[in-house]
Order: sequence, then structure tokens, then C-alpha cells
Amino acid sequence: MQLKNGKIKDFMMNYALYLIMLLIVIIIAIISPKFISIRVFRDILTQSSTRMLVALGCMFIIVSGSADLSGGRVVGLAAVVSGSLAQQAAYANKFWPEMGELPVIVPVLASVLVGLLVGACNGYAVAKLKVPAFLATLGMQMIAYGVNCLYFNKAPNNSQPLGGYQEAFGNLGTGQIMGIPILVIIALALCAIVWIIQTRTCLGREIFAVGGNANAAKVSGINVFKILMITYMLAGALYGFAGCLEAARTGSATSSYGLSYELDAIASCIVGGCSASGGIGSVPGVIAGVLIFNIINYGLTFIGLSSYWQFVVKGLIIIIAVAIDVRKYAGKN
Amino acid sequence: MKKKALALLLGICMVTMTACGSQAPEAASGTPAQESADKAAGGEQEAEAPAEGEKAAAGEAVAGVVWYNFADTFISNARQTLINIGAADGTITITDADSTNDVSTQTSNMNNFFTQGVDYLVLNNINTGAISEICDQILEEGCYGIFANTDTPTDEDFAKNDKLYSVSSVATQSGTIMGEALAEYWKAHPEADRNGNGKLDYVMLLGIQGHYDTTVRSQYSVQALEDAGIEVNNIGGEIICDYSRATAQEKVAALLANYSDDIDAVIACNDDMALGAIEALKAGGFFAGEDSYLPVCGVDATVNGCQAIKDGTLLVTAMNNPVTLAKAIYKVMYLTNNGEEVTTETIGLEGVSVDGHRVWLDYSPVTIENVDQATYDINDTAF
Repeated sequence: MQLKNGKIKDFMMNYALYLIMLLIVIIIAIISPKFISIRVFRDILTQSSTRMLVALGCMFIIVSGSADLSGGRVVGLAAVVSGSLAQQAAYANKFWPEMGELPVIVPVLASVLVGLLVGACNGYAVAKLKVPAFLATLGMQMIAYGVNCLYFNKAPNNSQPLGGYQEAFGNLGTGQIMGIPILVIIALALCAIVWIIQTRTCLGREIFAVGGNANAAKVSGINVFKILMITYMLAGALYGFAGCLEAARTGSATSSYGLSYELDAIASCIVGGCSASGGIGSVPGVIAGVLIFNIINYGLTFIGLSSYWQFVVKGLIIIIAVAIDVRKYAGKN
Repeated sequence: MKKKALALLLGICMVTMTACGSQAPEAASGTPAQESADKAAGGEQEAEAPAEGEKAAAGEAVAGVVWYNFADTFISNARQTLINIGAADGTITITDADSTNDVSTQTSNMNNFFTQGVDYLVLNNINTGAISEICDQILEEGCYGIFANTDTPTDEDFAKNDKLYSVSSVATQSGTIMGEALAEYWKAHPEADRNGNGKLDYVMLLGIQGHYDTTVRSQYSVQALEDAGIEVNNIGGEIICDYSRATAQEKVAALLANYSDDIDAVIACNDDMALGAIEALKAGGFFAGEDSYLPVCGVDATVNGCQAIKDGTLLVTAMNNPVTLAKAIYKVMYLTNNGEEVTTETIGLEGVSVDGHRVWLDYSPVTIENVDQATYDINDTAF
């Protein structure tokens, strides 16, 4: 009997996050039954997509035992850069007035490049210069924002919100294929790729090893510098791509895009079971972490709850979810 | 070695922080042009008068301008125009600083300018709870104080200091313009009552809680509807979107999923949020044809906002002309620097009226009828 109780308890502990998510959905659905619909499901997935990319990038960093505060501002920088390259030739307020229409792949690649570059700087500062990750990435956060403001303020744009995107670029954010938003397809594909990298490749295992115990990883022959560089660049590329999609999704971009996305991403990762001290984390957990926040965001607005209460509820859920989640490991130790 | 590298990086960080926080160039080394300032006040001010013979030549007056947020589109336009005018005219040297939407940064910026000994402090104040204290500080420092595009100081504050001015739009008009345009649309289109409950069911997208513009825009837009005899019903409560397009888009998508058949109109406290709402509405099947129109109102008349009016999605936006704001600020400084009085006539700008030391700028409605004239040029330096 005791054994059976233990099993139920174990189950509850292991799947606490999913159970909380289910509970929230049930509560919202009781208040407003319309919540259980394809449309709501699709909306939540769409809204989660760009944040999912940021959270996946963040997960690499957290699993490697590091931290990254630059994510949100990289999203903003990449959004403005890609937006400035994706405008129609005929648009009246072009960022680059002399430039013709570029193929959509150009802004997409540019945003990823921007992310890679910031990631490389982050990685170098942390792994080579040995700057504590919080500080190094805080510095990069400011640099990314400053560079973004400078670029955005360039004449003739003078800090005007960007607009007038080519249809193909806008479609990345708003289009659908057989009723499934393209954003969701992209996010799912990237989840799958990240999951494969993390669980099926040497690189993935080495990132876990570095995060679990950097010294042990070093003596067993892992090049920690290389792994950290790759980790930060992978994360940067994901942030950059997220920025590009954010621009496409909203049909605009300003230097204030992406503000505090990194904190949402970190919260999603930790709620999703990543260990803040490194070495633990999984893609399904992060997906659940991101979804839970977006369900709360969407659901509470859906039932017309005031924005002020939403903050209270969100904060409570972070604390409760993590409090339950840590029991899982505490018990095992 | 590690320590050196850390020190170096910290140094870089700090430099970046300073650069981001405040873009005030070095203080002009000239003495404050208080002589001419005293002249402007009719020569009555004896206290704290500088030594004789320090009369500043034209071009030596320095203005320290504290904007609440460089990243704000409207502010960015006004800021650039003011810099352009200053550079073209040369009478007043403009230096400015960014409060990054943070009261304590604003205080540091102000003190920085006081220390530099500016002749004019132009304050786009966000510390609205401490207006009187700020006025007292300006009085103590002896420079001119101009409150720009914010709550104006009280009559008592003005009575205490002859060198105090305020240049601001009549913020309530921005709300009224949205409300009146919506009322007109509502009365002309009986089918706009989508659920037929006889009430105008509106969604209100707010900027920042307690932000003056947010408060008056939400309040006066609804007031104008009620004054027009329309019964209103709010859907979704207080929806805080921080003036962000992405947030507004997400919030409206969520509301639409539940209240798609009920929502009759969206009132947004700025154009960016209105455009976010329009994106969400498009995704929800609106704006597909004649019969799927839904009125959305905004404020600011940004480039994208005006484009949306041309596209037939945005119903109305209220224009607070940043170029007029910059010109009016500069003109107040120019006039006082020359010892002239500030009046509606001496300011001589369209849509600008002077009441004592308060300079008021009118908002103007922008709709499909006049959108082609709703343009301004931040490179226009005539004042």
C-alpha cells in the first residue's frame, strides 16, 4: 500500500508541471467554455513560437551551466535589422531608400548572422576572458541595445517604426500551410532539431558534461572553450531568428522589441525543469515551460482578467511550479 | 591576468552604460547667459544675479533637454527636430539626455545639466508626483525651466518663478478626438452594433499604468462617447500593453477568441498598439471586405499609422505634431534669450496658443479625408 502511494506521489512529482498546466486550462475552461477550441489552441501555439526559439537558445546556455541576459535585446536588434532589409521597393519610408527588393532569405540570414555574432562575443567573453556570464552578457545586452538604437535612428529612418514588408516576409509570421501557422511549423521543426542536437549528438552530451561539472569535463578531454563558444553561438542564432520572426509576425519593428524576453525565457526554462546550476534540461520540459506562460497570458486575457492580476498569477505559478519541481531532485538526493 | 581582463571588460561595460544612459555632450564651457535671462524677466530679479559684464553673446545660451525616452517615436522626432533647429539657427546650443523611461535616471540627468550650468532646462518630465519640487530646484538653480509635453506646473509654481514655462499639447484632446470620431462612425453605421445590445462594446488598450497620456486618452475618449449620448460597455478590463505593438496584438487575439461577436471597436492609446490590434483583427477574419470592418482608433499619426488610415483599417489617429513641439520649445528659448515676451503672436506657430507662461499645442484629428496633409518634416528648421 505504501509502495502504491509512493508511486502516485512520484507520478505527481514527475509530471507536476503538466498537471499544473492542465489544471489552469480546466479552470479557464470552466469560467469560459469557449477556451477549448481549435482557434485558441492555434493562437497560443502561434504566440508561443517566437518565445519558444528564445527559450530553446536559453536552454543550451542554462544546460551548459552558464547564463545569458542578452537574449531579449538580440531579438530586438535582429528584428530591426531583418525588418530594414525586408521592405517593399515601393514603400514610402524605406530604411535603405536606394535599395531594391531583396530576396526574403537575405533578411532571414542577416538576423541569424547578427545573433551568431553577438553569441560569439558572449562566448569569447565568458569562456576566454573569464568574465562571469551574468556580467558579460549584461554588457552585451547593453551593447546590442545601443547598436540597435544607433542603427534604428539612422537617417532617413530617424527611429520611425519599420513597416511595409514584402508579402513573402510577412507570410513567415502570419501565413498558414493547410491551416497550420508557418510560425508553429518553424518552431516545431526547431524544437526537433534542438532535441536531436541535445540527445543524439556528441556536442549535446558535451554541453551536458560541461554544465554538470566543467572541471570533470575538462580532464576527460572536452574542449570547454569550444563547447561554450558553440553554445553561445547556437543560442545567438536562435535569438536572431526569433527576432526576424517577431518582425514578420507583427509587421513592424522598433528598437524596443524583445524587451525582457530573456527573463521570460529563463523563467520558462527553469519552470520547465532546467537546473539553474547546469547539467539538467530537456526540450519537452522547455516546451511545457513556454506553453504554460503563454496559456496563462492568453487565458487570463481571454477571460477578461485585469493585467494587474495577471502579474500576480504568473509570479505565483513560477514559484509554485519550481517549488514542486525541486522536490523531485531533493527526494532523490 | 584574469583580473586585468575583468577590469577591462568592466570598464567597457561602464562606458557603454554611460553612453546608453545619457547622450549629453560635454558642457559648453561658456558662462550661463543669465544676464539676458534677467532682461527677459523685466530686470526685476535681483537675487542670484551674476556679476556685471558677463553678458552672454548670442549663440552661447545652452539648453539641456531631458527627454523621457529616446526610443519613443514621437520623442525621437521632436528631439531630432530640436537638434536640427538649434544647429541651423545657432542661438541656442542644444544638448540632450535620455531618461530611458526611468524617474531616477531623469533626476540624474537633470542634476547633470544643473552642474553643467545650462541656461535652459527643458524637461519632458515623467516624475509627475514631484513637479513642485522640481520647480523649486529650477528656481534655486536660477536657470530657465521649460516643462515639455507633460503635466504643467501649478499656478503657484508659476507665480514663484518668472523663468518657468510649459510647452505642452492639450493631452485631453487626443482622447476626445478618438471618442468623437468613433461616435460619428457609430451613428452613421447602425450595423456597427455587432451583437445588437444597443451599447458600444469597446476594447481599451492602455500604455503604461498611471502614465498621464494613458490616463487622459482612455478617460476622455470614453467621455466623448458618453457625451454623444452613446451607451458604452468595456470588454477585457484594463489591458496594459506598454505601448507595444506585439503585446497589443497578443492581447487582442486572446480577446477576439472569446468576444469576437461582441467587440464593436478598439480604442488604443497609441498607434503602435492600434496597429497591433489591426494585425490581430486581420488574423481573426476582420478587414477582409466591406462587411468585416471594425473601427480602431489610435493616437500619434506615425508613418505606419497614417498608412493604415490610407489602407482603410485605422479609423482615426490624433496628431501631436513633434515638429511643432520642437519649434515651440525653441521659440520660447529664442524669445526669452532676446528679452522678448512669449505670446501667441510672438510664437507665431499654427495651432499654438499662449496662456500666461503656458504654451498649448493643439492635437489635430487625422482621418481618410485629411491624411494626405498629415505630414511633418523633421528637417524643417524654420521657426
